[in-house]
Amino acid sequence: MVDFRLSPQAALEGKRPVVRNSFILEALPEGHVVQVLANPCDGNICAFIASLANGAQFAVRAAAPGQWFIVGDNALSHAQMQALCASIPSHADAIDQSHGRVRISARGSAVRRVLAKGTAVDLSPDAFAVGHATTTLITHVAAHVSRTGENAFEIMVLRGFAESLWDDLDHMSRDCV
Amino acid sequence: MTFHRLAAGGLIDRNKPLSFSFDGKTLTGYEGDSLASALLGNGQVLAGRSFKYHRPRGILTAGAAEPNALMTIGRAGRTEPNTRATMQELYEGLEAKSQNRWPSLDVDIGAVNGLLAPFLGAGFYYKTFMWPAVLWERLYEPFIRRAAGLGRATYDADPDTYDKCWAHCDLLIVGAGGTGLAAALTAGRAGARVIILDEHARAGGGLLCERATIGGWSAASFVSNCLAELASLPNVEVLTRTTAFGWYDGNVFGAVERVQKHVHEPDPSRPVERLWRIIAKQALLASGAEEQPLIFGGNDVPGVMMASAMRSYLNRYGVAPGSNVAIFTTNDSGYSLAGDLEDAGVTIAAIIDSRKDGPTAAYCGNARVVQGGVVSNAHGRKSLSSITVLKDGRSEDLRVNSLAMSGGFSPVIHLACHRGGKPMWSDTHAAFLAPQDLNGLALAGAANAVHGIQACLDAGAKAATDLIARLGIAAKQASFGVVEGDIIVRPARPLWKIPGVKGKAFIDFQNDVHRDDLNLALREGYGHIEHAKRYTTNGMATDQGKLSNVNAIGLVAEASGVSPADVGTTTFRPFYTPVSFGSLTGPSHGKHFQPVRKSPLHDWAKRNGAVLVESGLWYRSAWFPRPGEKDWRESVDREVKNVRINAGLCDVSTLGKIEVTGVDAAEFFNRIYCNSFLKLPVGKARYGLMLREDGHIYDDGTTSRLGESRYFMTTTTAMAAGVMNHLEFCAQTLWPELDVRLASVTDQWAQMTIAGPKARTILQTILDEDISNEAFPYLAAKEISLCGGQLQGRLFRISFSGELAYELAVPAGYGGSVADALMQAGKAHGIQPYGVEALSVLRIEKGHVTHNEINGTVVPADLGIARMVSANKADFIGKKMLLREGLDDPDRLLLVGVMPLRSTDSFRSGAHILAKDATATLENDEGHVTSTCYSPHIGSTIGLALVKRGAYRHGEDILVWNGIRDEYTPGRLCDPVFFDSANTKLHG
Repeated sequence: MVDFRLSPQAALEGKRPVVRNSFILEALPEGHVVQVLANPCDGNICAFIASLANGAQFAVRAAAPGQWFIVGDNALSHAQMQALCASIPSHADAIDQSHGRVRISARGSAVRRVLAKGTAVDLSPDAFAVGHATTTLITHVAAHVSRTGENAFEIMVLRGFAESLWDDLDHMSRDCV
Repeated sequence: MTFHRLAAGGLIDRNKPLSFSFDGKTLTGYEGDSLASALLGNGQVLAGRSFKYHRPRGILTAGAAEPNALMTIGRAGRTEPNTRATMQELYEGLEAKSQNRWPSLDVDIGAVNGLLAPFLGAGFYYKTFMWPAVLWERLYEPFIRRAAGLGRATYDADPDTYDKCWAHCDLLIVGAGGTGLAAALTAGRAGARVIILDEHARAGGGLLCERATIGGWSAASFVSNCLAELASLPNVEVLTRTTAFGWYDGNVFGAVERVQKHVHEPDPSRPVERLWRIIAKQALLASGAEEQPLIFGGNDVPGVMMASAMRSYLNRYGVAPGSNVAIFTTNDSGYSLAGDLEDAGVTIAAIIDSRKDGPTAAYCGNARVVQGGVVSNAHGRKSLSSITVLKDGRSEDLRVNSLAMSGGFSPVIHLACHRGGKPMWSDTHAAFLAPQDLNGLALAGAANAVHGIQACLDAGAKAATDLIARLGIAAKQASFGVVEGDIIVRPARPLWKIPGVKGKAFIDFQNDVHRDDLNLALREGYGHIEHAKRYTTNGMATDQGKLSNVNAIGLVAEASGVSPADVGTTTFRPFYTPVSFGSLTGPSHGKHFQPVRKSPLHDWAKRNGAVLVESGLWYRSAWFPRPGEKDWRESVDREVKNVRINAGLCDVSTLGKIEVTGVDAAEFFNRIYCNSFLKLPVGKARYGLMLREDGHIYDDGTTSRLGESRYFMTTTTAMAAGVMNHLEFCAQTLWPELDVRLASVTDQWAQMTIAGPKARTILQTILDEDISNEAFPYLAAKEISLCGGQLQGRLFRISFSGELAYELAVPAGYGGSVADALMQAGKAHGIQPYGVEALSVLRIEKGHVTHNEINGTVVPADLGIARMVSANKADFIGKKMLLREGLDDPDRLLLVGVMPLRSTDSFRSGAHILAKDATATLENDEGHVTSTCYSPHIGSTIGLALVKRGAYRHGEDILVWNGIRDEYTPGRLCDPVFFDSANTKLHG
């Protein structure tokens, strides 16, 4: 066997953070994204997800009834991924999406105004509190949006569209000067 | 003296003069002016030429309904034709040009059309330009288009940018006049999320033209106070220069904000227009009412103006309408104007009131009042010189230089009718009112036929209280004190048909439709209001009949002896006023026109010199040219031959990939596919054929069983999203009892085909496990370790090319690195990258079908794969409908190969198949070519075709006919498998 060194390339490699007045756009590290699929009425999985969400090790984003994303900035080794999958209760499945989904951070006091150019979701704190998440279109690209702070959102997008959405978000924030 | 600026008064800032030009002439206005008020202030009464007859036209209104003063603003890429001078704010350096005239506004050759008027009546082009037909497009249409029309759009690129955005609120208020402001304050103070918008540059609506006081404040100061309070409320957003143009399902409103249409040099970091999509829990239409014109002869002569507009120019802009003015009215509106004019020192020649009993409100002015009279004709050409007053059969000419007219008020209910509701005629209000019980939308104020400032303020506050109460928000109705000088214009009997008319009496000013046109339409049988509209063009063009529809309906009703309720209205549709293409496009142009979807191997492909081709939103490698290759064919031929001789690497990451888990996944696949899947062993892949319910093929692909309850499915690139939706539908609604879960993993995996006789040797170099034919036979599938355990991937032994081939999937971020490793490992074995063109050649040579053949009309038997349809399964999607008799008709189009008789000949996809000696007619059509390519192995063009009984006609000579290009190619039908029909290479 020839000795090849394999190295990953980030989807948004080379994209420097966009820092504008009241708005910052930043590619998050391509750590881990694990999609959990289960029966939404399964109490075991709901308790498991709640325990994950309460811990410091993993962040959990609701994706759909019975579906969640476990996300984090650190890439998991094959063994770590297998261990995480094994910890998930039976009648639920974990799908590794660490390379299929790209996370982008959008934050700043103008973030709602910028995102409102792309999404029809009401992002006011009353309607979309910290911890809420939904799948929506931003311009013409499907994205999963989570509120991570008062003026901070995590946007998760299919890898193939990541660069296009990044460019759109950059363009949408051009008037934050 | 004609229109002129008064020495004082109005809401303009006289300390800020603005220089602008009209038809090249430099003029001066003030900040706060509209272009129309600035022109009038400079005595420029002639504003344009009419659409058909090129008649001189003046400014008729002071708002959005303006039909006459349409001008071209700006230059080069910022040229904006058909701008309403009444809506355009004045700015320093504004350049305006009149339209539809040559060589000048003053001297317009097109005015000769007026002499031809007897031949240019309603529907003249239906009758006149009938023959010869050859001249329809060559002469008649260009001639009509040139002779008639509005402004001309520029061909220069628009240098500005446009935005779109969404907004949400508890209460949307359309219109920031008294009603809207009262509503906004009521709801805003209660804490509701409020958006209030107004199409004008300043909020305030009619209050800005009023001389009444509200709670001791002047109307204008009252507006300022309201706006200051609204600005202090964080839950309220006030949008001026914003026109709500449509009301859509879900209580979504469309609106356009003119962000920088009032500046000479827009700030490039901001849009010039912004399109809002506002989702409102409740909405209030406080859009006011539109004063209606009166239909007398010469009612379009410059100097004739709507009474409320004249009042607006006087009170808001400090522009007086000349020295000698007459007022023709059917209601009390004319008297409020009269009072204001007299206070401004303007002489009023007469107030002609069509009512015999005179004003219902006290009039204390000095003007002569002609009760029960009408203005039958106005005289003058480029400006008004006199009018003829008719009363009791006697006529009298009055010399005047301005005439104000008021035919009553029509509530602006356009938006309320956008979702199918029809306006209702009210005899009480002499107006069409909005339909009742609009879900989520209410009307208040003048838009709801309420008259007077006090009543409108109260109505707005009450409406807001009621609307937000539905959302559980309690509010106290705002109150604003006593209104002094309130003028309540009560409804009056409409005056449709005026006697004694001699000249043209225009109903629709913008389309040059006059009373005789409508009469002609009625005589010729176009009595239905929708027919009359089309026949006469009344109510068309940019103003959409804001000033003409009600009068046309009234005249039709009167002529037919019925009520306007029986005539009804034409259909209201978005947009309320014209919306620019720029705002509809928003930022979606140039680089942002549509999303780009990149494969994980995109950068790798570019590094290897790929020519990329758009495939849906994906960019795929088409071919990889090498130095010295003269054209794409040369590159593709090389890539194809290399795959057959050595090995090639092709990016197939764009295939749809779906992970399916659950204990019932096998049963799920068994029902989804028409072939059997229940017993697919772990570690094996299988080709799957998916039908629609109607028995036709929907998609195909492979599905691999990676674990007892874990499957990996691939779909075609084109149908990836559709198949995912289909599977979700089946899992969630058809078979909810099955334990199945689905996840799209298309973007998780970089997937590449390594195909060719040396594929195994090359691949083995980077894999940690044995992939010999014994260890990993055809249709094997497994998770596999790469490069000494650096990475886990998935390997599938499947082939689209007919060669020994594998598909290797690795986590997407490693795609480029793994492809580099394979290229390095394969260098000594002659590996080359190949693109989708070569991929296509390889599959056509093998007779493999894609969506060129799976075109929505074929069933498995048509493609020669009927054997795949399981006869043993109890059910699968498409089973029942596949048994329909028409689907086994022997004359169906069946898959067949086709080749030219001479190897130097070629044909194209889409060409039709004719019997050898048949004439080229559609009646003789026997099918068509679905796929073609040049096969370097056959040495000629080859193709796949769907031909009547094609599978049974191998060896038959035919004619390939391309009717579009007039090409005829003698050919022969043949086996669709052109290469290695025994599949010896596949199993190598």
